[in-house]
Amino acid sequence: MSLQPTTLEELQSIVKDNQGLLPIGGGTKPALSTAFNGATRLDMSRLSGIIEYEPGEYTFTAYAGTPVRTIVAALAEHGQYLPFDPPLIEQGATLGGVIAANTAGSGRYRYGGVRDFIIGVRFVDGQGQLVRGGGKVVKNAAGFDLPKFMVGSAGRFGAFVDVSFKVFPEPRAYVTLKAVFASLGPALEAIYSLFTAPNEMDVLDLESLDDGRFGLLMRLGGLSTALPGRVERLQAFLNTKTEVLSNEVIQAEADAALWQQVNGFSWVPDGSHFAKVPISPKRIPLLENVLLSLNPSRRYTAGGNVAWLAVSDIEQLDMLLNKLNLPGLVLFGPPGRPFIGPRPGVSLARRVKQALDPSGKFLEI
Amino acid sequence: MDHQPFFAALQRIYPKERLLTKGVQLLAYESDALTSFQTKPSAVVIPESQDEVIETVRLCHQFGVPYVARGSGTSLSGGSLPIENGIVIALNRLNRIKKLDPEQRIAVVEPGVVNLQISQAADRYNLYYAPDPSSQSVCTIGGNVAFNSGGAHCLKYGMTSNHILGLKVVLADGEVVEFGSESLEGVGVGPDLIGLFVGSEGLFGVALEITVRLLPKPELYRTVLAAYNDLETAGNAVAMVVASGLLPGAMEIMDRLSIKAAESAVDAGYPENAAALLIVELEGESEQVETEFEEIMDVIKESGSYEIRVAKDAEQRLRIWKGRKGAFSSVGRLSPDYVVQDGVVPRSHLGKALAEIDRLSQEYGLDVANVFHAGDGNLHPLILFNGREEGALEHAEELAGKILKMCVELGGSITGEHGVGMEKRNYMPAMFSEVDLETMKTIRRQVDPKEISNPGKMFPGGEAPALKMTGMHPLEAKGIISRE
Amino acid sequence: MQHRIDIKKYGPRGEAMAEAIQSCVHCGFCLAACPTYKVLGEEMDSPRGRIYLMKEVLEENLTVEEAQPYLDRCLGCIGCMPACPSGVRYDELIVSYRAFSEPKRKRSLMDNMARRMIAETLPYPNRFRAAVASGKVGKLFKGAMPEKLGAMMGLVPADLPEDKPLPPIYPAKGRRRARVALLSGCVQTVLNPDINWATVRVLSENGVETVIPQEQGCCGSIMMHIGEEERAKKLARQNLQVFVPDEVDAIITNAAGCGSGMKEYGLLFKGLSEEAEAEKFAEKVQDISVFLDSLGLKPPAELREPLTVVYQDACHLLHAQGIRSAPRNLLSSIPGLTLLELGDDGLCCGSAGTYNIEQPEIAHQLGQRKVQHVLNTGAQAVVSGNIGCLTQIQSHLANRGVSLPLYHTIELLDWAYRRKAQT
Ligand SMILES: Cc1cc2nc3c(=O)[nH]c(=O)nc-3n(C[C@H](O)[C@H](O)[C@H](O)COP(=O)(O)OP(=O)(O)OC[C@H]3O[C@@H](n4cnc5c(N)ncnc54)[C@H](O)[C@@H]3O)c2cc1C
Ligand code: SF4
Ligand code: SF4
Repeated sequence: MSLQPTTLEELQSIVKDNQGLLPIGGGTKPALSTAFNGATRLDMSRLSGIIEYEPGEYTFTAYAGTPVRTIVAALAEHGQYLPFDPPLIEQGATLGGVIAANTAGSGRYRYGGVRDFIIGVRFVDGQGQLVRGGGKVVKNAAGFDLPKFMVGSAGRFGAFVDVSFKVFPEPRAYVTLKAVFASLGPALEAIYSLFTAPNEMDVLDLESLDDGRFGLLMRLGGLSTALPGRVERLQAFLNTKTEVLSNEVIQAEADAALWQQVNGFSWVPDGSHFAKVPISPKRIPLLENVLLSLNPSRRYTAGGNVAWLAVSDIEQLDMLLNKLNLPGLVLFGPPGRPFIGPRPGVSLARRVKQALDPSGKFLEI
Repeated sequence: MDHQPFFAALQRIYPKERLLTKGVQLLAYESDALTSFQTKPSAVVIPESQDEVIETVRLCHQFGVPYVARGSGTSLSGGSLPIENGIVIALNRLNRIKKLDPEQRIAVVEPGVVNLQISQAADRYNLYYAPDPSSQSVCTIGGNVAFNSGGAHCLKYGMTSNHILGLKVVLADGEVVEFGSESLEGVGVGPDLIGLFVGSEGLFGVALEITVRLLPKPELYRTVLAAYNDLETAGNAVAMVVASGLLPGAMEIMDRLSIKAAESAVDAGYPENAAALLIVELEGESEQVETEFEEIMDVIKESGSYEIRVAKDAEQRLRIWKGRKGAFSSVGRLSPDYVVQDGVVPRSHLGKALAEIDRLSQEYGLDVANVFHAGDGNLHPLILFNGREEGALEHAEELAGKILKMCVELGGSITGEHGVGMEKRNYMPAMFSEVDLETMKTIRRQVDPKEISNPGKMFPGGEAPALKMTGMHPLEAKGIISRE
Repeated sequence: MQHRIDIKKYGPRGEAMAEAIQSCVHCGFCLAACPTYKVLGEEMDSPRGRIYLMKEVLEENLTVEEAQPYLDRCLGCIGCMPACPSGVRYDELIVSYRAFSEPKRKRSLMDNMARRMIAETLPYPNRFRAAVASGKVGKLFKGAMPEKLGAMMGLVPADLPEDKPLPPIYPAKGRRRARVALLSGCVQTVLNPDINWATVRVLSENGVETVIPQEQGCCGSIMMHIGEEERAKKLARQNLQVFVPDEVDAIITNAAGCGSGMKEYGLLFKGLSEEAEAEKFAEKVQDISVFLDSLGLKPPAELREPLTVVYQDACHLLHAQGIRSAPRNLLSSIPGLTLLELGDDGLCCGSAGTYNIEQPEIAHQLGQRKVQHVLNTGAQAVVSGNIGCLTQIQSHLANRGVSLPLYHTIELLDWAYRRKAQT
């Protein structure tokens, strides 16, 4: 069954009258957005559109069903952006979906992810009530930070109506430096030394290449006049402080195209299961070890702090993650089990669930 | 309530030097940095291990005794004000930095660690802990977590919440939960529990262990001081900088009174006679900063400033910041008492808000000093009064309330970083509907069914036992009702 | 902070106390700078807590006795003052409070006797020397409070150096650039008379004539510090009579505690007939390092061998008088000398007058802390502008089985000049 509210009131009465609801935005993350086991699709796409955007404020408020594409375009007109590179934009990801799944692309590295930019949310809870958390200003310490809590909530606690974000001025120019290392070890060592270096990067991605080699992708954003000098400096740093084999500068359209691909997940092989796994860089070798047998397409973003793994079978990955004590979130895969691996803190999450949705209108967390 | 068995149980955990019950000892804990509220607790415990904290919270839950966790007691909103018939859990001896891993840029610390100590420890790796409340030389990470504290340099990289990756907490009913990780992604999967806990003002439980992220120290700072003939022009200058598309690390404004106070406390070298002073600081990689600096100077030159100074070296920069960071306390030189407000307005309304504060200040006949985080619209009006005059506090509080209401009307918030605490709880309904508040309370009760963790704070009305300022409910005083 | 102190009750000092309390905004910035808070982590043992407790006592909500343990633990190091943005005069508050509370508190007979003995011996070099020399100190003090005095006497060497009285006038070499009067001090003259001699020699080298009033006595600071106000006044009066501020460019001291104490003479005599005179005196008081630094030092000669020293800030120079750069400038001007920093934010070493005796445990922890910092620097010697610090550090080094030479700043300068004379 699928329900599609067009107004807040409709949404509220749907929630009051139904059970087993799964709010859905653009449906770009099927493991999260496919209704299963008799759950009811709650299609939020009609609650869409920008409500308030004051460029001078660097904040906007929009309905949760708004495609991120729309937002990105509106922001770009004023040289502004969401620095965390929300993924799957071209495929139709909505704001609500990005929040519920907590997906951020490579740009998450420097200024943070979804949680670091959301400032307000209004949602309909399990009792059909409209609840607001946060506000519309960039800084706000009043009340519990429900907007942040909702990041990653997977539609289990309520249906978002509208959300407010802060945004940043977009760098006027970008350059990407791609460095190649003989194996994982030296690539990770390079990350560690870059971590304490003064060079500023908007992106620091680690990718596995052929023959056991690894690549580091460093994207620099800023004033165009300063960029060449910064790139040179970064190259010098890599040459003197790391065991880099070669490096390549990627600019202009090539740079834009590269990151569009990466953040659109177009590198993920068709039909594979695909999951996000927060990790710390020092645990990557462990993960790489156990992944050997699966040999997935994979990528590490945010300086080796988020693993994106494309595997053929999510069950196997679940087992491995449990062994490594790493939680994971499935984006592409069979419906019904988005959370794999251990679930730290879930007992606290369940208490909040009790408060927001005592009669279980939305799916279980 | 009969506390005897509870105290007996505490005595089994704590030796007598760490279980304070003498009147004189308790007196020292009766206020935080907001002295208009005072409540003497029944006891103060000084745990030295996480287990002792856990045990204590479990006992409080078992016996229904309220508690408040306390860091350095610098809360400006009465957040660490003790609860009558409750205990204070003073976390100052839980002050170990348990791990500092420069390669992953993280530190794992106990809650009593002082904010600045993390940066000091990380300094030799060229790293620092970014959130810098003005009180950073003394306030604790536990307190920062409870209040999601911010500082002048939170414009670019965010407040406390944006820098916490993992937490171990004991919830009010004694359950110990851990969430987040050493990953920059923090919780990453499932609802953001760190987001929920940070800023919860101690209403869910006590943070026992905190994983924070560190950042590389900016290679270069460029600090500009611009003097203006009136506050509004300075406010507009902020809007101009924001509109320029540059992202400074900090943007602060001080007005005439606060300049005077700061200047008499530290010789900060601020331009004389300025009605308003704007501090803009760029930080980051040197090439980028140098280029941005040229642009920002153009903007500031256009902004109507009559004198622009640039810090020539690290020492001058530090002096500028020392004046700014000591501004609140140095106002103590101008007036024996003050209330600080912490409202936020949309940045484009700064000029308007300042003009309105000025008008209110005249209407009430009270001096208001303004020193604030202009970059994010976070005002800090300090309302000066003399507490020895009958009714002066109430008069000042009334003015403060008007300012908060104005912030909300302009689309802002009643607090940007100091938290609601005791002080602003009655203004929460101006910002949130009854449903919003009820929902928050329900969440709280799910976590803290007996409402023993810092009760009386954040939510309007007194769910807490009596407090001096508001007084006990008459029925409660007669013993007819009880809200415990 | 609001208070309800009935100022009139507390005589001339009531105002100063109320003023200090009123200007405290309870912000807690001072906590991090307080050695006892560092060690104990308790609000009552912090400056803010102490101010609060004093307020409560003065408001008569608390008895002097109840508050006493926490106020006794205050080192009087004044580390809290520079940390306070609100400009609270903690120094005036604690000294005034101690003067007020001392007569009110109950002390054991032993305590009283010991205090009396301290008060009647320490300020008088002759008595002190005689007492130590004749072994009478042992007897005198031991009978009264054996364990506590053990601690104190541990700091006094078994045999004292010979007494080397200073002349009434020590002339300037070459053209006279200034004329000063020297406070020769009490305890220090007995323990190490060379410091005074080094002082007059260095002054002379720099064209300064030094007058040493022969009738002078102890400055009274120790007495102020422990709340013996009447005794302090008596001692100070003597000095007011024999020093003539108008006839000298400065009144020089080489002991940190004396300097900060004499700068408070105005407060000591507040509301009394000597007030104006005392203030005039206080204005002329200068630490030797500040005087020499602002006069402009004649270049000293290079040390025979390079020496790496660490400078220890005496609380009563750094915190109480804000003297930071002067001694460093002087030391750095000695060729061949490398100056290191302790990097401990000038936290008190725990010596603080009679603190070693009263609060041995905290003093011990602070001493150990300090020595650890000293050892971390790897310096060959320790320099300070105060003999109390030097003795404290020495004894804690000895505890660790380490021995390092310790010098007063002026001694190193003296060395360098004397070396110049030789070449
Ligand atoms: C002069 C001055 C300037 C200030 N400037 C700023 C500023 O620029 N920005 C800013 O944000 N704030 C500022 N503050 C406010 C204050 O310093 C912060 O709120 C700070 O985070 C409080 O830390 P604390 O250790 O003193 O906590 P406390 O005051 O002791 O406690 C604050 C709250 O935290 C709770 N708490 C403490 N530890 C824990 C724990 N481990 N687990 C759970 N709850 C806990 C307490 O129960 C209480 O509710 C300033 C304060 C002063 C006095
Ligand atoms: S720093 Fe000053 S104003 Fe603040 S609590 Fe300490 S003494 Fe009081
Ligand atoms: S004088 Fe020293 S010991 Fe006493 S309160 Fe101040 S800092 Fe602490």
